Amino acid sequence: MPRMFAVVRREFVERVRTKWFWIGTILGPLFFGGMILVRLLTGSHSGVERRVAVVDGTRNGAGARMVDGLRASLDRFHIASVPASASVIDSLTAAVIAKQLDGFMVVADSTFDNGIVDYRGSNVSSLADMEELQSTLGREIFAVRLERHGIDPNVVRNAQITVTMTTRKITGTKVTGESGEQAFALAFAMAVILFLAIILYGINVMSSVLEEKTTRIVEVLVSSIRPFQLMLGKVLGAGAVGIVQLTVWLFSVKVLAGQQDRLADLAGVDHTSGGGAAFHLPQVPTATMAVFIIYFLLGYFLYAAIFAAVGAMSGSEQEARQAQTPVSLLLMVPYLSVFGILNDPGSPFALWLTYVPFWSPVAVPVRWSASPIPGIQLAVSLAVLAASVLGVTWLAARIYRVGILMTGKRPTFREVVRWVSAG
Amino acid sequence: MPTSILVVDRVTKRFSGHTAVDGLSLEVPPGVIYGLLGPNGAGKTTTIRMIMDIFVPDEGSVHLFEGAGSARDYAHRIGFLPEERGLYPKMRVLDALLFLAQMRGMDRRGARVRALEWLERLGLSAWQRRKVSELSKGMQQKVQFVSALLHDPELLVLDEPFSGLDPVNADVMRQTVLDLRRRGKTILFSTQIMEHAEKLCDQICIIARGKKLVDDSLTHVKEGFGGRHLIVAFDGNRGGADAVFTDRTLVTKLEDFGPYAEVEMATGADAQVILRALVDSGARLSRFEIAAPSLHTIFVNLVGPDAATAEGRTHA
Repeated sequence: MPRMFAVVRREFVERVRTKWFWIGTILGPLFFGGMILVRLLTGSHSGVERRVAVVDGTRNGAGARMVDGLRASLDRFHIASVPASASVIDSLTAAVIAKQLDGFMVVADSTFDNGIVDYRGSNVSSLADMEELQSTLGREIFAVRLERHGIDPNVVRNAQITVTMTTRKITGTKVTGESGEQAFALAFAMAVILFLAIILYGINVMSSVLEEKTTRIVEVLVSSIRPFQLMLGKVLGAGAVGIVQLTVWLFSVKVLAGQQDRLADLAGVDHTSGGGAAFHLPQVPTATMAVFIIYFLLGYFLYAAIFAAVGAMSGSEQEARQAQTPVSLLLMVPYLSVFGILNDPGSPFALWLTYVPFWSPVAVPVRWSASPIPGIQLAVSLAVLAASVLGVTWLAARIYRVGILMTGKRPTFREVVRWVSAG
Repeated sequence: MPTSILVVDRVTKRFSGHTAVDGLSLEVPPGVIYGLLGPNGAGKTTTIRMIMDIFVPDEGSVHLFEGAGSARDYAHRIGFLPEERGLYPKMRVLDALLFLAQMRGMDRRGARVRALEWLERLGLSAWQRRKVSELSKGMQQKVQFVSALLHDPELLVLDEPFSGLDPVNADVMRQTVLDLRRRGKTILFSTQIMEHAEKLCDQICIIARGKKLVDDSLTHVKEGFGGRHLIVAFDGNRGGADAVFTDRTLVTKLEDFGPYAEVEMATGADAQVILRALVDSGARLSRFEIAAPSLHTIFVNLVGPDAATAEGRTHA
């Protein structure tokens, strides 16, 4: 045991001493700080003024009526009404290119039948602009259509209210304070962190195994410590580095999120007007945190053992990089399925991802953050995963034990099977 | 005092298709320098790996310190320098030494004191905080040598310890090995350079193609292979030497060059009896020498020219 601890210690200390550890540790908070700044900056941008022209091709005054409505409810849009003519599209396009105009829309009689408004402009990629225009247009078209059926315009105007939907997630039997948007952000962030952390720290284990193999130092080690303990020591050591780094990241995220106003001041951004755009750190319920940690640890152990075996089978850094690709792809599956899981957390697809041990470490925390997972499913998932960790570690240790002493060509699949079944 | 520190009992190791070590037995008594000699591919490294519990023998067994444990269980009492050298290139010298000492069951504090002593002794003190990769190859080998004996093991197993060393460092290593024996340690080392074995070994075992050819003390081996030859030179007067040389109870073969003769003694004959007979016959001798063949000659005779180009490499 003290020998295994020495392996853990070496793995940890040597990793922490590398410049990559420091770069990675510092880069995390920097990246997050940058993300907050971008949000603040783009947030304040959504308050900028826009010049938009409306080409009125209506013959019954409905267009003018709509322009009035747009002017009344859109403060930051300067709406200009332009009568339809043969060359109007071209001249307005030229105005957009010359940046005299942000965009223009064409309204015709048919608009009030089929609800289609043609908008062209330089700001079409601004979600805030488009959402605002679209919802206001919808309201105005709705009002015009009601009036057509003889309903008093004043009644229509009084009946219209702006609807804001506040969303709350139900976890188990409680209603939590989480909003839908926050739940999504949390799920996505967890998927990214789980995927990256498992792959990164797993690959650390692999390269460490490879270093001992290629320098042949492994002979001295194997004559002093059991290969299984050596492998376990490496997995634990690299895992400890991962936990330290994750803790630093999470802590800095918390601190940075709490210091957004100061950050905005530093960047010279006026945060009082764009306050709504500030980054809200999702509140993470304890249960979600627990699921995240448990699945991270189990997933890390599962993949680190596989990576250790891959390192032991390979003869060089290059060979190892090739051999680890299928392993990384395996973990890509749940990572790429995040949207699918969030759309329908109860689907058979999500269920599969919950049970397959190579996928559940990413899939389950994501699914959990979207909707509660029945206890029995969670229990089965955990049992399968835990059993797989034991089984895969056992297998990997057998491959590792023989592989670390082999040199020369890469073993064939049949040889690897023999290593596993031997003694 | 145990009778043997290491017993290798009829071990066999096969690798896909070829037998690297074939029913090999050897016994290493305490306090000796034991040489495991053989040409390339003879099975020396495979034998050492089985002793060190890196390979499990297909047949036979290895016993250490007259106990039941494997080399791993006795790691704190055994030092090991493998054939293929390597250290952690990115680690600092002192850290690498401390880690390897921990692997051998030492605590870091004790290891630090010893490591600093050894680095001082081998002139590497200034390098203790440098990365291993910054050291020259010779320095790295010294560091590795230190790592094998830092925990003051009773048994030191060295696989080709002199290969790749310059004469100065080889001498440092040789002095250290001799010093360790003086302190009662047992050293098993493999080599294919007979001169090293001849200067160092108390006991040798010559193997070829995985099988043992000889296993004895160096003196006995030399006696067994020659030691039956005399070189006699006369100082002008041969006296009655011819009568002595023709005595079939004393001499079986003679190459006479007049003032100088090479003599092969008869079985059971004693060189001292021949010397006295020659002196009594009135011959004046300027030289009388029992010619021991060099270990090199013995090795070549035993192994033969064909075995020197041994089939296939052992599995590394």
